[in-house]
Amino acid sequence: MNQDFIKLLAAWALFHESADEGWKAAVAQGQKQQPGSMSEGPDAFVHGLAALVDEEKEKLKARLAEDGGDAAAASSGDLAERLDALAFEIRELRGCMESLQATVDGLAARRGD
Amino acid sequence: MTEGSRGRQLLLAALKSALKISWQTRFGLMRGHRRRALIAREARLSCERLGPAFIKLGQLASVRPDVFAPETVFELEQLQDRVAAVSADSIRAEIRRELGADPDALFADFEDEAIAAGSVAQVHRAKLRRAYRPVIGPELAAGTPVAIKVLRPGIEALIAADLAVARRWAERLNRWRRLARWRPAALMDEFSGMLGRELDLRNEGRIADRFGQDFADDRFVIVPRVVWRHTTRRVLVSEYVEGWRLSEIGEAERAGIDARTLAAHGAEVFMRQVLVLGYFHADLHPANLFVTPQGQLCFLDFGIVGRTSSAQREAIAQVLIGLVYGDADRALRYSRELGLEVTAEREDTVRREMAGLVKRHLLDPPRADVRSFALGFLSMLADQRITIPAGYGLLVKALVTVEGVSHAIYPDLDLMESARPFATRLIAAQLMGRDRLRRRLPAAGRRALEVLLA
Repeated sequence: MNQDFIKLLAAWALFHESADEGWKAAVAQGQKQQPGSMSEGPDAFVHGLAALVDEEKEKLKARLAEDGGDAAAASSGDLAERLDALAFEIRELRGCMESLQATVDGLAARRGD
Repeated sequence: MTEGSRGRQLLLAALKSALKISWQTRFGLMRGHRRRALIAREARLSCERLGPAFIKLGQLASVRPDVFAPETVFELEQLQDRVAAVSADSIRAEIRRELGADPDALFADFEDEAIAAGSVAQVHRAKLRRAYRPVIGPELAAGTPVAIKVLRPGIEALIAADLAVARRWAERLNRWRRLARWRPAALMDEFSGMLGRELDLRNEGRIADRFGQDFADDRFVIVPRVVWRHTTRRVLVSEYVEGWRLSEIGEAERAGIDARTLAAHGAEVFMRQVLVLGYFHADLHPANLFVTPQGQLCFLDFGIVGRTSSAQREAIAQVLIGLVYGDADRALRYSRELGLEVTAEREDTVRREMAGLVKRHLLDPPRADVRSFALGFLSMLADQRITIPAGYGLLVKALVTVEGVSHAIYPDLDLMESARPFATRLIAAQLMGRDRLRRRLPAAGRRALEVLLA
């Protein structure tokens, strides 16, 4: 079966972590199956598929946990964007400090008058 | 002048205006649009007569179609804020007081003649004495021309005194049951807060930097960079950018500027602010925008900034799509998400009127007329006694502003035609957005699984 499709279903399963009992039972049944037994009938197929999806779901969960729970950080494009935003904040802060210095200079000159 | 005498002076002026307007509207017998238009005109003239605080209050009111009648909002947009400049000596003293040194010591070639003078601040030109590294973009070399915006001496005290009087009036108006639903005192507090922020020029500088950063990828947009080293609460120094005012666009075209492309792009820039970035230049008018010889739009004066929430942006985009594709039903449906409450008995009338306005002003004419559509639509809501939510008023006003600015650059531009590609791209991006996919994926997955297992 197409791996992407399994991944899609895994994502669905992850969003439904608290899925119903029927789903959990199917996963448990599927995990007990021997290799190749998915073709033994509709129930075996569903159980096997559920187990496959669950396995992929666990992998996806681990990957998300490695990324600090934020999938956005995974892409380098997003990372560059964040760095850019951070650099801007730092430059903004420098501007703020310079402005404060100007104000202090003004006040100091007034005190000296 | 004492607060008491200023109060009496303002009261007298207000009474004169009230009498004049009573006469013009046949003592209230005149109804509808004509009456509202006359009141709006008198409100604008009164603000101009009453001075800086009221001019600013009028400008703030002009971005609140959720509170004021559409005629008032569009009239107040035209408030003239041009006054005689104060003497160069006063401005030099102000700079000395704020920055602790004489302008000639801080800048090279400080020009005594103001290049612009408003009721709150005036602007002088000079050159940087030393190089400066701004928050965005490359270094500004020594000798770079700069614009020095300085608050007029004593303006804060003058505005504070007028606001105190206006606050007292608002409290009295609060007691009138007919006016209480507009919450005059709360509105006055809100406006006072905004005005207070506007009188701190550092806020304007920060927004300019933010705007410059967000449009750094747009080669058609330029924002003067701030020289923070010489900027304080009362003085704002920024890069001076040469260009043509929108009233001189003919000259720009003769110099090879493609006005049509620039106008369409200007509309897109504004939509990007409202619909993508979530903040926008709310005081955009031809005087705050000019065209550089490099064919860029230069944005100035970020005193008033409007904001849109993420949910508002999504709904506004859908309403926009409804309008640009002439789908009144869609526009109305998503208008509800912006808080427009249309009761069941009025729904058919509003839908019919809206479809009629869309057809009459946006679809049928050779060039869409957004302003007439907005005026007609807001008036219809007022006639139907339907409350206009803040976010919704914002959308309508924003569209009219976009059209006004675009037409100042290229009068034949059809805003709806120009907005179509942007709005379509935006909706596509929203549909593919991570959050939306996250919301929809479970249901889609469930359906896919159901089909698979059926």
